[in-house]
Amino acid sequence: MSTAPARNSRPHALAGLVRLSSLNVFILFLLLGVIFTLLSPSNRLIDPDNISVYLGLGAEFNIVALAVGLLMICGEFDLSVGSILVFCSFSVMKLVYAGVNIYLASVITLAIGAAIGFLNGFITVRARIPSFITTLGTMMVWRGVTIFWSEGLQKPFDTTSYVVFTKLFSDPVGGVVPVQFLWFIGITVILWFALHRRPVGNWVYVTGDNSLAARAMGINTNAVKMGVFALVGLICSLVAIMQISRTGAFTSRAGDGWELKAIAAAVVGGTSLTGGIGSMAGIFWGALIISLIENGLLVMRIPYFWTYTVFGVVIVGSAILSAFVSKRRASFGRDRG
Amino acid sequence: MSDSSPGVRPAADGNLVEMRDIHKWFGPVYALRGMNITVGRNEILGLVGDNGAGKSTLIKILSGFHLPDKGEIWFEGRRAHIQSPRDAKALGIETVYQEQALAPHVSISRNVFMGREPTRALGFLDRKVMAAESLNALGKIGLHLRNPESIVETLSGGQRQGVAIARVLYFKAKLVIMDEPTIALSVKESRQVMDFMKQLRDEGLSVVFITHNMYHAYQVAERFVIITHGEKTADVKKEETSIDHLAELVIGSAPAGGRESDEA
Repeated sequence: MSTAPARNSRPHALAGLVRLSSLNVFILFLLLGVIFTLLSPSNRLIDPDNISVYLGLGAEFNIVALAVGLLMICGEFDLSVGSILVFCSFSVMKLVYAGVNIYLASVITLAIGAAIGFLNGFITVRARIPSFITTLGTMMVWRGVTIFWSEGLQKPFDTTSYVVFTKLFSDPVGGVVPVQFLWFIGITVILWFALHRRPVGNWVYVTGDNSLAARAMGINTNAVKMGVFALVGLICSLVAIMQISRTGAFTSRAGDGWELKAIAAAVVGGTSLTGGIGSMAGIFWGALIISLIENGLLVMRIPYFWTYTVFGVVIVGSAILSAFVSKRRASFGRDRG
Repeated sequence: MSDSSPGVRPAADGNLVEMRDIHKWFGPVYALRGMNITVGRNEILGLVGDNGAGKSTLIKILSGFHLPDKGEIWFEGRRAHIQSPRDAKALGIETVYQEQALAPHVSISRNVFMGREPTRALGFLDRKVMAAESLNALGKIGLHLRNPESIVETLSGGQRQGVAIARVLYFKAKLVIMDEPTIALSVKESRQVMDFMKQLRDEGLSVVFITHNMYHAYQVAERFVIITHGEKTADVKKEETSIDHLAELVIGSAPAGGRESDEA
């Protein structure tokens, strides 16, 4: 028990390092928007065509980032999101080629995604190994399996004949608003209610914040974690279906590199790497920031590799900023008595 | 829960808890050597002993984390078979640990209702009830805070203990075990936590206050049990002792070079 003071002070430092209120994240988003607009040739960032690309394409990644951020609040990581995605996009194509109705194929694929996600959680809580390791392994396994079965080839998958399917997953609504963006908004709202307004959201927070306390209060932290892992898998498979509907092709590179980008989005959005801290609004804007950087550099015609440099600067910069902000908050906002 | 049911021996003096002849071995270590301890109703019992004397083992048996190798536990006059922390909770025995009790980055109200959140229609959190009832529970132990949405991390050490203690009131606890609650606290905060214990007693609960600080124990407890090397070496009421006498009992029963006999 003599280590209690040290245990007490450790979470402060880590929490401060990655905490940003969602308002700060929103301001950063606006700031980046203005900068990219001014720097892009003939303000192409705010060209309606580009906005549509940003919202539609970006939403696919953004949706995955929502799930990854939620899992991080729960205290776990998922590095396998890109691999679940590519496996599921292969699965939906293979099923349709095998003669399965595309809607049934989609439902089966959603179930596969959820099952793969659940497996990540099951291995993590049963074997008691860090999810970082579990999902590093499954990241390799599922992409490896997909590349093996698809022979690493790109395959056409014409979805134009499935009118309702493409309307649901990739056509702009009314020819204007990308439907993926509406999915992004809808999933954000659902997850916001789940996290902030329902008991299960509290279980997610306290499981990530102090799982000993959560267990002592009768919360089944293993079930909470496995559930969120399954949700991550489900959402990845949904995005896989959206993506294949939009591109009309399967590629074994789908979702490549998304795992770290999604973690970056969550961190920029104020999510803690150690669990228990974060908000749906923060992750929402964090995801929009990461896809804005990608899109902004693209319209500025800056070579793609610079994207990673800018990601790096923004991530470290926002962590430093949040450490500064929370230090100020700590010195003013204490409710001591 | 009548004391007159067949086959039930009523506990002497209507004690809340009686631990009778409790023995515990950890491998070759004889941690508890026939311990007899009672906790009265509405009583604050100070359980005093040096580190490694067996306090934690004894209390872990009462709260269901360890099983005794021999001995009986009686609760409210009935034989209790406490096999797990869940059994202990079901009886109304709650343990408040120093840092394991709370989620530091979550609000007071969400901590108080952790794991049993009240809901409105359609399963949404009843945040009004959570806010009002958590402040109400804190008020019952004399801790008056304004904002139930405050993050626990921003509270002082004493206030955090208060949040953990207020929560057990909602479990309809009958006995609250507090394991070294003052160990990491300042003088002022320790006093605050000891005031919480008095409030719990005034609410009709019994408290077991485990500490190796006899000065803290003396300030709040009404009876003292001193444990040394897995044995009870003294059991005195406050009016039968003084702080000096208590110090003598503790020091006298723990000669220099005394061996450790407990994992804690």
